[in-house]
Amino acid sequence: MWMVNLRAPYSARRLALGAFALLLAALFLFPAQSQGLLQFLDGPVGEVVSLPLQAVAALDQGVAALWERYIALQGLQEENDRLRQDIEWLRGQNSQLREAASATERLTALLQFKEQALPIMVAAQVIGRDSTNRYRSVILNKGESDGIKPDMGVITPAGVVGRVVKTTGATAVVLLITDPNNAIAGLIQRTRDEGIVEGTRQGSARLKYIPLLSRVRDGDRVVTSGLVGGFPRGLAIGTITTIGKEEGALFQTAELTPEVDVGRLEEVLIIQHPYGASAESAEKREASGKSKP
Amino acid sequence: MKILLYSSLVLLLVPLHTTILPHVSILGVSPDAGLVVAALVGLIGGEVEGFAVGVAIGWLLNMYSAGDLWLSLVINGGAGLLAGIMGRQVAQVTPTVLSLGLLTLSLIGGLVAVFSMKSLEISDSWWMVQSVVLPQACYDAALGAGLFWLVTQRIMLGRLRPLDRLYSYRDHP
Repeated sequence: MWMVNLRAPYSARRLALGAFALLLAALFLFPAQSQGLLQFLDGPVGEVVSLPLQAVAALDQGVAALWERYIALQGLQEENDRLRQDIEWLRGQNSQLREAASATERLTALLQFKEQALPIMVAAQVIGRDSTNRYRSVILNKGESDGIKPDMGVITPAGVVGRVVKTTGATAVVLLITDPNNAIAGLIQRTRDEGIVEGTRQGSARLKYIPLLSRVRDGDRVVTSGLVGGFPRGLAIGTITTIGKEEGALFQTAELTPEVDVGRLEEVLIIQHPYGASAESAEKREASGKSKP
Repeated sequence: MKILLYSSLVLLLVPLHTTILPHVSILGVSPDAGLVVAALVGLIGGEVEGFAVGVAIGWLLNMYSAGDLWLSLVINGGAGLLAGIMGRQVAQVTPTVLSLGLLTLSLIGGLVAVFSMKSLEISDSWWMVQSVVLPQACYDAALGAGLFWLVTQRIMLGRLRPLDRLYSYRDHP
């Protein structure tokens, strides 16, 4: 039990209530101006706040690495065996794909198609998760000072992760593909039907607005359509697990399992320009230190 | 000195929220330490300090969230202010009283946040209320009560310190 502090003068309450009323008035009467002012301050303040954040994130990653590498080794042998089998299978598939790629190259040259430009990307590290429980997002250690802007796409070599929604001087917030507030234009790889990929409350994703006559089936892969947003065409989003057809509905909806396990993200690539440069200039950039898909 | 203390507290809340609290989450829900700290500062320091610290916490935490800025500012600033007012109206604040207050504040904040999300369908909103807002409110109440108990224990220990010294002097002159 604790006796409360009754020392503060009555005017303190009026001052606090007045300030709260002023805040409400500023936020609701001049939303763009007040939020713009605070977002202008986000850059320099974010630089200061990112220092303890990056220090704690580094410590956290160090402890996690220690745990995973030296203590939590249960089931490692089984995992190794499974991964070896996967490598064998992927080697076989890789050689087939090489063949297909060289055939595509020859045909492209024959048909005189325009050269496919490669996206410009920047690597970043995940240093935290959303500060609330209401959104599924991650925080990256790259921000405005590295040329990161809202709406840029974020991927890993496995597939799409999400898109940047907010930046400070040294950090960026990425809304994950599994968040219900996120929407990315998707394409079913086999049937070429387009739709919109949204997150679900269960933490997976779904493809909406699939045409009713589409011959989509379980196991079909969904990739980015490249029509809107910060993603080039053909990046893996997920695999269809179930298809829902409601009576009287104009479209079908399919549940997806995302390619990327967003719960275990460590490093990601931010797409600065989806169709930024030709292969030659990308090679030049690679030589100067920037990443390539 | 107080400004330095509050600044350090607010700065440390960001890594705590984004890096450490996800490890102690239960079923994917972690407590809103920002709301709890704003309410505690309001209760102990008064309305002005509670409001100022709450707004600062809301602003900084919003930089690291996909959520709306106004919501974070209003919820955290309002929590500090209300706790300050409550601190003057309630004669004896106990951990139970504080936990009930925090439960109510967290519930109101969570409900406003969920129903202001435009892209959610009604069923999704209710699912969020059941699986995020309610557990988080309970978590916040428990954390607030625990922290308040710790803080008051420290204050009582501080008051008892001269007596301890007296006894130790009597035993070992």
